[in-house]
Amino acid sequence: MKGKPFTHLEKLGKSGRASLLPNQVKITVGFASCGVAAGAQAVLNAFSSGIKKRKMDVQIQKAGCNGMCHQEPLVEVWIPGKVRLTYGKVNKEIVQTILAAIKLDAIPEGALFKTPLGITTDTCCEDVPDNTSHTFYSKQQRVALRNCGVIDPENIGEYIALEGYQGLALALTEKTPAQVIKEVEKAGLRGRGGGGFPTGLKWKACRKARGKQKYIICNADEGDPGAYMDRSILEGDPHAVIEGMMIAGYAVGASQGVIYVRDEYPLAIQRLEIALENARKNKILGSKVLETDFSFDIRISRGAGAFVCGEETALIRSVEGECGEPRQRPPYPAVEGLYGCPTIINNVETLANIPALVKSGAKLFSAVGTETSKGTKVFSLVGKVNNVGLVEVPMGISLREIIFDIGGGIPGGKAFKAVQTGGPSGGCIPESLIDLPVDYDKLAQTGSIMGSGGLIVMDEKTCMVDVALYFLRFLEDESCGKCTPCRVGVRRMREILEDICEGRGTLNDLDILEKLAGTIKESALCGLGRTAPNPVLSTLKYFKNEYLAHIKDKKCPAGVCRELVKYSIDKKLCIGCGACLKACPVDAVSGEKKKAHKINLKKCIKCGACSEICPAGAVLT
Amino acid sequence: MVTLKIDEIPVQVPEGTTLLQAAQKIGVWIPTLCHHESLSPSGGCRLCVVEINRDGKSQVVSSCVYKAEEGLVVQTSTEKILGIRTCIIELLLSEAPGAKVIQDLARDLGVKPVKRFTPRNELCIACGRCIRACSELVGVSAIGFAKRGYDKLAVSPFYERAEDCIGCGTCAEICPTGAISLKDIDEGDSAVVCEGTVIEGPARIIENWKVGLKLKVCKECGETFAPENQLAYFSKEAGLSKDFYDICRHCRT
Repeated sequence: MKGKPFTHLEKLGKSGRASLLPNQVKITVGFASCGVAAGAQAVLNAFSSGIKKRKMDVQIQKAGCNGMCHQEPLVEVWIPGKVRLTYGKVNKEIVQTILAAIKLDAIPEGALFKTPLGITTDTCCEDVPDNTSHTFYSKQQRVALRNCGVIDPENIGEYIALEGYQGLALALTEKTPAQVIKEVEKAGLRGRGGGGFPTGLKWKACRKARGKQKYIICNADEGDPGAYMDRSILEGDPHAVIEGMMIAGYAVGASQGVIYVRDEYPLAIQRLEIALENARKNKILGSKVLETDFSFDIRISRGAGAFVCGEETALIRSVEGECGEPRQRPPYPAVEGLYGCPTIINNVETLANIPALVKSGAKLFSAVGTETSKGTKVFSLVGKVNNVGLVEVPMGISLREIIFDIGGGIPGGKAFKAVQTGGPSGGCIPESLIDLPVDYDKLAQTGSIMGSGGLIVMDEKTCMVDVALYFLRFLEDESCGKCTPCRVGVRRMREILEDICEGRGTLNDLDILEKLAGTIKESALCGLGRTAPNPVLSTLKYFKNEYLAHIKDKKCPAGVCRELVKYSIDKKLCIGCGACLKACPVDAVSGEKKKAHKINLKKCIKCGACSEICPAGAVLT
Repeated sequence: MVTLKIDEIPVQVPEGTTLLQAAQKIGVWIPTLCHHESLSPSGGCRLCVVEINRDGKSQVVSSCVYKAEEGLVVQTSTEKILGIRTCIIELLLSEAPGAKVIQDLARDLGVKPVKRFTPRNELCIACGRCIRACSELVGVSAIGFAKRGYDKLAVSPFYERAEDCIGCGTCAEICPTGAISLKDIDEGDSAVVCEGTVIEGPARIIENWKVGLKLKVCKECGETFAPENQLAYFSKEAGLSKDFYDICRHCRT
């Protein structure tokens, strides 16, 4: 590659390479929010003091999350010229064994898997599985997450060493803005925030729109319960998002960018601030980007925690300093957005895909995926699943493969019941449909949506009416209150659902629920309101028998809805171990050792502690 | 100019005209609530929704916001629209059962309250007409919304005395549901407004904004005619002399 931008990057990449692949052993600690929550700071401290005490020549660094949240705190040991070894659930003792082994030039034992460093035919650590054959990774394909957990997110050089800002340099030197848009269009990239609108079309409309100023907004107001894809990308690879925004800016003719990120993501904000500062210092961001005539700068706008501000028109109002309320579209933001100017609003993951797309071309990007959904999608796999974590899979993979192969199935030998996709705007997909390929349109056909990528797995012990109530409560709480269907309609739906869960429901309620859902879906002002009934509609569609059990039999089949549950102990099954007796917080259980126990219903607060702990399955609901 | 069809009737309107304005032009009635011709549209109450057809796709939009487009086919009372309207009135009836405007709409459209809904005793339906009027027409922005969702209400800043309120009463006048309580008290009477502050008459009390404002007494006839703050605001805005409002307009002419 020739041209000033490339020589500029070449210089910066050199120092990055030295830090990424030093000539000495390097240890990286997963330091995204998930890692920090699991105790990464203590692990990092233990390494630092251990290295000092043993007078070792080892580099210690922070990295983002590699996706294996269930194995946090995660540590990687980089052995120069050979491999990178990944260790999970690292504690202070494991830190000591790792350091002791390195001190002896040996390979620390207990690695989960290994990743070769560069082209190496070295046969070390043969007993450790390869990353490509590890169950968690074998079906994954990482594009948006390509650098997460690998690079130090606070070091711009490491990003550049791994082809960072090459897509931008290529666009600036070899492509016209129209060609960049054409490339994105040809790639078939669709918005990863949930809507799935073709990114290229959006850019084209914005390029065509007239305005003395244009803006690129990165939507990082991730608010779906159980979803944390965007947070992980921002914490693990902030420059990918910045580069994506800059390419978008070049393509549509914008010189200003805003990252709208929720204030509940302090680490993401901190890493973004560092990244922006480093990009400016290294003449990547600001005037005369990479020594070309293109100028672009980015500022951070922090959201105060309203779910509705993820909706683009509400987001714009919030950035403008107004109350975050949506307005009717059209006009679309691409034509009339921030301060009335043409504005592109793309989600974090969409933008993180852009550099790789531009760098390797539309053909390579669209080689992955289905007819209507190209590329990969990041999901946060949470709920009743063994391998909780962040996964990136090619579109077209089945939900079953994600949940059972990558996710390792349901814990405790329980049966799978449903998977919730798309957060509060999505729905619950039953087992009969989980062989469906993951694809915007296929998921929409089930009555759910792709959404931003939250996958909440539910087992047999989950009550689907309770799930619907949970989401309605969330939506009622987060409704901005501007339009009647959402403000009052969602409230009324919640009240009815609560009655059903507490045994006061009637069959007529189901008709009222369906009528309300239909009205809200058709007439609410914004996308959030219009999709608010989805959790109720999809559970009514696939799990109507559970609703009927609550209404007709006044029973909660999953044993979740407290008002409908009566705990009792099966005399024949009870082994008299006393576990329930100890677990009960209100002393409602009585019985002698090795004899059947009993529950005093007058004292019982229906917390379910006895049922959870019983090894014999003797507690009935 | 753009030509469109509303309920099969062709109508030609200048660009930028809303569907509601276009419908009014040809006498097609669309119910509204949060809309007011002197205010910017909000599109919040959703009563004025209509069905538009474009490229064979039907879409429900609020007519007070949506701008007329060339060749657009608009239907104001399809089965779907009537169903939505009915449901929205049912919801509003449960939110503000005492509001006469909603009762009238329900009667006109044959909508009955849904017994299953738990009504609440509020008149404010968060349409924001008072707030928009205070900002767009009066220009003082003394009030705003607090909270969100079902708890959203038009209130004074921090639920305290609305410092910037000039007592003009535009809010009470423009409120569709009569949710704003405005009353003038005479000399000799008194009222408690905010945190136990007692205001002596003659004064204007607006309970919602926790204000009590002294009323000006005409030097000529001795009648009260407007809050002093309002007159001071008018004088300042129009550059009038200090004593201009010493006498009321009846005595001036």
